[in-house]
Amino acid sequence: MTEALATTGFSREAVIALSRHKGEPDWMLQKRLEAWEIYEQTPAPLGRRGDLGTLQRLARFHFEALHPYLPADGNGALPASIEQGLSNALVGATERSGLVLQRNSSVVRVELSEELKSRGVILTDLDTAVREHGDLVQRYFMTQAVPLATDKYTALHAAFWSGGIFLYIPSGVEIEEPILAQIWLDSPSAAAFAHTLIIADELSSARYVEEYASAFEGEQPSLLSAVVEVFTKNGARIEFTSLQDLGRNVWSVMHKNSIHEADSSVSWVMADLGSRVTFSNIGSNLIGNGSAAELVGVFFSDQDQRFVIKSLSNHVGLSTNAETLVHGALTDESRVEFDGMIRVQPGAQQTASFLSEHNLLLSKHCRAEAIPGLEIGANEVSASHGATTGQIDEEQLFYLMARGLPKDEAERIIVQGFFEPVLQRITLDSLRTRLRRNIVRRMRGGHESEADWIEAQERWEIEGVDEGAVSFDRPSEEEEIRLLPE
Amino acid sequence: MASELVIKNLHASIEGKPILRGVNLVVRQGEVHALMGPNGSGKSTLANVIMGNPKYEVTDGEIWFKGENILEYSPDRRARMGLFLAFQYPMAIPGVSVANFLRRALEAVREGPRPAGEETPSGKPAPRKTIPPAEFRNLLREKMKLLKVDNSFINRSINDGFSGGEKKRAEILQMALLEPEIAMMDETDSGLDIDALKIVSDSVNALRGPKLGLLVITHYQRILNYIVPDFVHVMYDGRIVRSGGKELALELEEKGYEWLRPEGSEVGVND
Repeated sequence: MTEALATTGFSREAVIALSRHKGEPDWMLQKRLEAWEIYEQTPAPLGRRGDLGTLQRLARFHFEALHPYLPADGNGALPASIEQGLSNALVGATERSGLVLQRNSSVVRVELSEELKSRGVILTDLDTAVREHGDLVQRYFMTQAVPLATDKYTALHAAFWSGGIFLYIPSGVEIEEPILAQIWLDSPSAAAFAHTLIIADELSSARYVEEYASAFEGEQPSLLSAVVEVFTKNGARIEFTSLQDLGRNVWSVMHKNSIHEADSSVSWVMADLGSRVTFSNIGSNLIGNGSAAELVGVFFSDQDQRFVIKSLSNHVGLSTNAETLVHGALTDESRVEFDGMIRVQPGAQQTASFLSEHNLLLSKHCRAEAIPGLEIGANEVSASHGATTGQIDEEQLFYLMARGLPKDEAERIIVQGFFEPVLQRITLDSLRTRLRRNIVRRMRGGHESEADWIEAQERWEIEGVDEGAVSFDRPSEEEEIRLLPE
Repeated sequence: MASELVIKNLHASIEGKPILRGVNLVVRQGEVHALMGPNGSGKSTLANVIMGNPKYEVTDGEIWFKGENILEYSPDRRARMGLFLAFQYPMAIPGVSVANFLRRALEAVREGPRPAGEETPSGKPAPRKTIPPAEFRNLLREKMKLLKVDNSFINRSINDGFSGGEKKRAEILQMALLEPEIAMMDETDSGLDIDALKIVSDSVNALRGPKLGLLVITHYQRILNYIVPDFVHVMYDGRIVRSGGKELALELEEKGYEWLRPEGSEVGVND
């Protein structure tokens, strides 16, 4: 058993060994084996002819060199890098109502406030959920939101998932403080599977923040396969924020999808900064009447990073709304493909759906491809989509330089301005700050000292373009800048 | 000593097409020059070339400012030396607040010719000038009052969604704030109604004095009723074909430009 677990590469034997190691009920083993069959029979998605080739590159990744399962260390102590990462989390220890920490293949920490426990909220690792809430897991795990046969990578995920997070919010429970999850990879040649299953019962609400990070050196790549399934029952509201800041030796495949009952809503916030290759799929299935979804996305790619981002707003019920807004900048030799689809099913009358995606190219060698798609099967629909790819406008640059700003700084300011509309849509202050810092750091000019760019980012954080962020209506003797609540 | 902007035999082209064909002009601090001429004569091109717009190629001639040939200098260095251009069509820059931008611009011009961090001849990096927000706010509020600019505009994105008149006033606001030594106003009067024209002219007149040299580029004589020039130049087909006192503007108003047309020249060059 342990021998099969210690193997590299994926096999049917390894699936069985993993399931036995976890002591799973037979239905889960059968599900894993079904998924393994599909994995073996399904070709990897290769993209279209003439695209930027990222999916082909992903298909050639050496999956056989990976360890499918990394047993947790016995003593449960966390390495300093992860402790450090946890203390710098987007949601601090005093600001969150719950915490889940996954390291490689295992959930190593779960915390939930006593108050939420007493109100029936369940936050646990997925193994525990399989044992204690088997009926729920059996019904929702990779069946509707991200079916295991979605593609080859979801099949692999279903066959080899480990770790995993289960969150259940009972009817009417509204969780104000965010729940934080951090997924860490700190081993080369590892395959880590992060699975998040959220069931928000009627009229409940929660904010959930998931961070993907890594802490290991070297060229030997690891793989992170993440699946997020969100179910919102009638009138439930979920805000799901994810920050992908993986090291450049990590390849990642992400599938996130929500299934909406009536009048429920999901706000996806997605920030992609790190990894070598990321294939990210994000969708909302607006099945219930009056349900709504929003996707706000930001990315910044450099060096040889490659991202493929696919979004889907699937309108099924009556009078559903969706809005997708993604802004990204590329530099060096990086490549990004964005494929945004609005699908309005027959009978989905009074749909309102909007999508816009904008790429800013900052080098001659980066490439972006944006394909917005629209399929409309109903006749009372308001939908629009648009995508642009462009460079920094030379006339804007000249205008700023004619006012004394050096070229580096003028470019940085234009890029900051480009991101501002999406950053304004992010409600989590810490993420907005993190993204602004990342953008300023990547745009740091040749003449600017560290102190200069730290100041530049602080100014941006303070002044931004928030309406009323800097008040001019106050007596002049007051020194500090007033920050208005949002 | 008064700063001087000296243009000598300036030739410039865009995409291989010659537009300036030998311009000679001297503007000193304390003087107000009007540059008039029909559309397409090269007035805007001259202002852009003086400011260093990379869109244009200088094929011959020199531009001297404060005793230095600035032809090879970047636009920001020219601005830091004390040159200013009020744009005919100011660019909108979404997502960048006017307050943020203007504070940085003011710091930049106060830093002097070299950007902070760049090595100076002494080998040390040029210093960064930081203006405290409160000080900047007071200064800006004062200039905004002068130009009757609404307070709300300061938190908006630069020129984004501004009306034509607002953009022009914002340009003059920047000029008032940055206190250049030589400023060019490129058709600031076009698109302004009479009230806005008066506000802009009053502000410009308030800035007039021994420290400011002005080059007012205009197609119409109207603004010169308010900003009375010391000198008037007429541009035609990429050259200055006539220079005189303020009475020349009135003569042009009466007779139009046609009588100044050089022999053999064609009108219709893109301005």
